[in-house]
Amino acid sequence: MTLTTDKSGTKLTVHLSGELNTMTAPNLTALLDKELGGVKELTLDFAECDYVSSAGLRVLLATFKQMKAAKGTMALANVGENFQDVLKNTGLDAVFGI
Amino acid sequence: MSEESVLRIPAKTEGMDLILAFVSYLLDLNGCSGKARTQLRTAVEEIYVNQTLYAYPSGDGWVEIRGCVENGTAAFTLIDGGTPFDPLAREDPDILLSGEERGIGGLGIYMVKTMVDELAYEYRDGCNRLMMRKQL
Repeated sequence: MTLTTDKSGTKLTVHLSGELNTMTAPNLTALLDKELGGVKELTLDFAECDYVSSAGLRVLLATFKQMKAAKGTMALANVGENFQDVLKNTGLDAVFGI
Repeated sequence: MSEESVLRIPAKTEGMDLILAFVSYLLDLNGCSGKARTQLRTAVEEIYVNQTLYAYPSGDGWVEIRGCVENGTAAFTLIDGGTPFDPLAREDPDILLSGEERGIGGLGIYMVKTMVDELAYEYRDGCNRLMMRKQL
């Protein structure tokens, strides 16, 4: 998994490339721990990531709660077919507003 | 019946790539791509993670995966010799809760249930066996 970021003021976009799974989810957590301070609008771009296991969902849900607590927002962009199914089947599509 | 392929490795998180490579290899050999491939890989990942975390609370152990593709159906069985545990017996999470009300975990096994056609657990000969089948 490769993670790249675009930061502009209080906006942060993270582009994910590869698979967000048990092995790679900790990398996303570490990156967000480092970059999320002061961010009000977080966008996670899944254009190049269409494999998300429960380890990835845990990071997304924890980050969603963290952003909400800080009066910020978290959006998922360019969600692919497989990831969309996972979100729908777990009810997280409603939570994340997909 | 087509021959079953078998891989047995130490029950460590680090073995995940090997387990997923095994699943991918068998599916690729049988021309399985796209959604079914992703769903089977995810389902196996979820079961394997549980085994590495919970099967051997007091030390090292092993996990074995058996797989075959026959008549357009893929079958994988994950076996460990650890503590008897039926992951399917756990109550499903409430997927209608809001983000704030949601617990952080508990989605893995539920995801597996949504991704395969058949799922069965048995404890036999001192081993946990989780069998999954999916039409390709």
